[in-house]
Amino acid sequence: MRPAMRPTMILLGLAITVVAAVTGVTRLFRMGMQQGYAPAQPIAFSHKLHAGDNKVPCLYCHYGARSSRHAGIPSSSVCMNCHGLLEKQTVEIERFKEAAQLDRPLMSWVKVHNLPDFVYFNHSRHVLSDVDCKNCHGDVANMQRIEQVMPLTMGWCLSCHREHAGVPTSTLDRAARRFSETPKPATGLDCASCHY
Amino acid sequence: MSDHCNGAKDKLVALGARRPPDYWKSPEELRKGASLRGEFPGGLPSPGRDDHGDPEGETTRRDFLTLMGFGVTAAGLAACRAPEQRAIPMAVATDEMVPGVANYYATTCGGCASACSLVVKQRDGRPIKIEGNAASALFGGATCATGQATVLSLYDNERLRGPLWHGSPAEWHEIDERVGAALAEAHARQAKIVLLSSTITSPSTREIIERWRHAFPSFRHVVYDPVSASALRTATAAAFGRAVIPHYAFDRARVIVGLDADFLGTWLSPVEFARQYARGRAPEGPPTLHVQFEPGMSITGSNADRRVAVPPSALGAVALALLARIARRANEPEVAAPPDPVDAKTLNSVADELWRHRGESLVVSGCNDVAIQLVVHTLNRLLGNVGRTLDLDRPSLQRMGDDAEMATLVEELARGEIHTLILHGVNPAYDYADPGGFLTGLSKVAFSISTADRRDETSAAVHAVCPDHHFLESWGDAEPVAGMLSLCQPIISPLFDTRAVAESLLRWLGEPSDPYGFLRDYWRTAVLPRQQAFRDFDAFWDQTLERGVLDLGAPAGATIADPGGADWRAAAATLRDESQRAASPGGDAHYELALFESVPLRDGRHANNPWLLELPDPITKMTWGNVALIAPSLATQLGLGDGDVVSLTTADGAIEIPVFQQPGQHPRTLSVALGYGRRQVGKAGNDVGKNAFPLTRLVRGARRTWASGVTLASTGRRDKLASTQSHFSMEGRPIVLETTRAEFGRAGDAEKLPNLWNERPQGERSWGMSIDLDSCTGCSACVVACQAENNVPVIGKDQVQRQRIMHWIRIDRYYRGSEDNPQSLHQPMMCQHCGHAPCETVCPVLATTTSSEGLNQQVYNRCIGTRYCANNCPYKVRRFNWYNYTQNPRFDFHMANPVGRLVLNPDVTVRSRGVMEKCSLCVQRIHAVKNAAVKRGEPMKDGEIKTACQQVCPTDAIVFGDLNDPKSRVAQRMQSERTYRVLDDLGTRPNVAYLKKVRHGQTT
Repeated sequence: MRPAMRPTMILLGLAITVVAAVTGVTRLFRMGMQQGYAPAQPIAFSHKLHAGDNKVPCLYCHYGARSSRHAGIPSSSVCMNCHGLLEKQTVEIERFKEAAQLDRPLMSWVKVHNLPDFVYFNHSRHVLSDVDCKNCHGDVANMQRIEQVMPLTMGWCLSCHREHAGVPTSTLDRAARRFSETPKPATGLDCASCHY
Repeated sequence: MSDHCNGAKDKLVALGARRPPDYWKSPEELRKGASLRGEFPGGLPSPGRDDHGDPEGETTRRDFLTLMGFGVTAAGLAACRAPEQRAIPMAVATDEMVPGVANYYATTCGGCASACSLVVKQRDGRPIKIEGNAASALFGGATCATGQATVLSLYDNERLRGPLWHGSPAEWHEIDERVGAALAEAHARQAKIVLLSSTITSPSTREIIERWRHAFPSFRHVVYDPVSASALRTATAAAFGRAVIPHYAFDRARVIVGLDADFLGTWLSPVEFARQYARGRAPEGPPTLHVQFEPGMSITGSNADRRVAVPPSALGAVALALLARIARRANEPEVAAPPDPVDAKTLNSVADELWRHRGESLVVSGCNDVAIQLVVHTLNRLLGNVGRTLDLDRPSLQRMGDDAEMATLVEELARGEIHTLILHGVNPAYDYADPGGFLTGLSKVAFSISTADRRDETSAAVHAVCPDHHFLESWGDAEPVAGMLSLCQPIISPLFDTRAVAESLLRWLGEPSDPYGFLRDYWRTAVLPRQQAFRDFDAFWDQTLERGVLDLGAPAGATIADPGGADWRAAAATLRDESQRAASPGGDAHYELALFESVPLRDGRHANNPWLLELPDPITKMTWGNVALIAPSLATQLGLGDGDVVSLTTADGAIEIPVFQQPGQHPRTLSVALGYGRRQVGKAGNDVGKNAFPLTRLVRGARRTWASGVTLASTGRRDKLASTQSHFSMEGRPIVLETTRAEFGRAGDAEKLPNLWNERPQGERSWGMSIDLDSCTGCSACVVACQAENNVPVIGKDQVQRQRIMHWIRIDRYYRGSEDNPQSLHQPMMCQHCGHAPCETVCPVLATTTSSEGLNQQVYNRCIGTRYCANNCPYKVRRFNWYNYTQNPRFDFHMANPVGRLVLNPDVTVRSRGVMEKCSLCVQRIHAVKNAAVKRGEPMKDGEIKTACQQVCPTDAIVFGDLNDPKSRVAQRMQSERTYRVLDDLGTRPNVAYLKKVRHGQTT
């Protein structure tokens, strides 16, 4: 290598390293995030048709959200409440009709909004506190196929919890106020509220 | 400031001084002083090497770092997504079951014959936690350690999957045909048909047995309890006309004298008795005296005000000595007694107290000796206790075994006289006094059937095994005390192809065999008419099934005549003769052997239950095995140390067993726990400990569980014992405190230490807990309850020896006084949820912090396993997962197989390797109640949140609640003069406080 080229090579090497590091680290931080995840489901159920055009309320099918930690995916018998009486039959409808008649689960849905095992999210607490389903699940009534639109990271959950507790949400704000104010206690911000 | 500093310094100096500690946990500690041991004396597994120093695979540290570096880069470069997860909803939803919401069903425990009432928590169609039924007047909401563990025995992977014929899997209809043929043959030939079962408290099952008696004239039912109360029943028949067990009321007694009766641990109905005992001995109430005469230290003895160690051969003499004194006061003709077996002063003062509180006293004996029981009955009768502290109108039906009948049966078996033998809930090939003799007799039976749930010692030798359901899968009923009924309903569909015994018995009778239908019919015809609240059966059934218990009142015409004519004088004479013979033993080389039922394993039926195998015995803290308990003075004299294996020889056989020093043990008696040494019970329990059942024999028609003329010889071998007694030592600091009745009226002096921390912002609530050391008997039900509720793993004997036992709550048992007869004290110790927690400040990643409500919360996903928090915790309550104890074939207890994992609580994380865990004050229960309160729109009530340990405690020693609510029970307990906090002078400000134990009549 010619001595004159050396500073350029160093700068180039540095630039490549910086780009690789930034990309690598950003990708690492996004590892496990599923924003934009919209997998194909075994039955092409359309929320746009049911929740949107037909205005079926979320809690009609996902009734678990009112009383349990899990909102739940409705069993075939819930679908049969209407589809047992309707005339229009499609291949998709035949599939879950068979399951309802046999009383045997015949297919498994792909979970879209998936939290890691070490997080205990409780739907009923949020539903009973009048948090709208749209806040976390997005505009489901206009989704043909369910897509996870929110990041569902802990930081994102905490931003709402902090707002609810009246605590500043931005890091800079929190740092700035740390030495002037005593932090307000809020049970929603306790680690053990979700990790236990 | 300087004054206070000097005071603190003095304290530190005093702690360092070498003087015998006030409280000590083991003889070593007493003699050598508390030792300062390293935090992890079991040693740390070094990288690349496992516990035994063997290299663990080929990876070295350098390889590990290389792989990690590569892995991280690869992960960053690839578009990494979380793995796809699937969800399967139910095909047809029911309105009863919502995933994530628990249902609770009332039933009855089948862990032993006490038949405690239960409410079982069910998630997703399977039971995961057992609680007591608060609606029961007998048992309240409490259970014992064994009862708590029975939920795991449902998910025992070694349960039979279906019936067996000659050891091979068979079909039910095949076996039914063969049984039918055998019974027809027996009936035609008038040959004997015997049902050999353990105590059956179920009235409907007894009805089925009645039908068998009608159908087969040559049929008889023999009841066999390996640890029996046969002598008590015989004596009650002789003294009061009915072969029953009196129903004792310890809460009505101001003076209790126990003669080797472990009524707080294992005798008859320990949950009920512990509840009564605590109620009767509340420090604010009238004083109660409890004196215990026993050879070894039992839980009951450790809670007694006065305990006298006597050899088992002298228990009769003690009873007689008391009888002689009471008879004199009662103006009865003189009772000649042998020389006093213990000093006369003690006997005189006990007799004085008994007489002073006649009508409010109670003498009980667990000795299986008819003569002693007759003497005890006479004592109670002369003291006017009958009908006051012991009830014969509503007797207990919790033990019905008859030792003499069992012996007769074994003789008939040996002569080949039995044609058909059905064995239900018994295992005589393990626990009979002559197992070999029994097996020989069994081989002569033309057709033998066992309803055992596994291939055990007995069912391996029968023709047909027709496995019974677990009680959590069964319909049934129970009557533990006459007139107090409870129902039993299944909480889960049968897991395997087992069949209810009721169904088998009905089918073999040729009757319609629906156990549910039969039960309902029985209740419609036999129970409905006996109550007044309901006329419609269906309403009655639904209500009673939901409630679980039914009190029918005393059976009509039940008043027991008080004949007083039983030949107790003859019994007294027998005892006198016997004790005179025992008084001249064959020289110094002979000892006595006392056998007892251990609290964890009882009579051995739960020997494959890993929770019970690992539960430290409340007194010895021994896990995974039994030992021969020996007095420290005798051990020193013979040159024996803990773990030295000795050979104990009696007239009935010999066993080789390691010894263990037990303070308070009688110096000429060795005690060995029954229930161990099983050979065919399952992977976990096989060959754990030594079987002492063959060392018993029949004396006067009752099985004697002690022997004299025992010789002892050292074998020179040494076994490593897994006792947690010296683990987690607090190193001589004042941990347990006690006071006396006289003193506790005065206010305590709480030192206020200077505080270096800023005040933490207080939330609306502050969770706290108060534990009453006076009520705690040390039964350890809370330990198993916590294990069940929080998915605490079982780690095995080897790991326990390395001080790695995982129980979040432990019962520390302290002695005080001399080695020969110390006082004892039990202290449950769990995370103290310190306001200024030493563990929080040293965590490098802030995996443990204090919540806004005062809970010290452990965040498992953040923990990196530094273990500095465990190091810094002065209470030594943090437990570390050294290995992956779950889904790891190396620790295959219950968490490594799919059946055993069904017991896990889905509301609590299952921790993996490298993560610290500790008591969380059942935060999942706090959340559950909070959510329920939000749902119904009303605030939470005090007492609504019950931690697992609190809920099972029979004596209500543990109370949890909101310290900020002045009306809550826990806040009121905190105001008590007896309240103190452990190691308060370290400035940790724990939210868990204790109430000092109150000693009767002595100064501290």
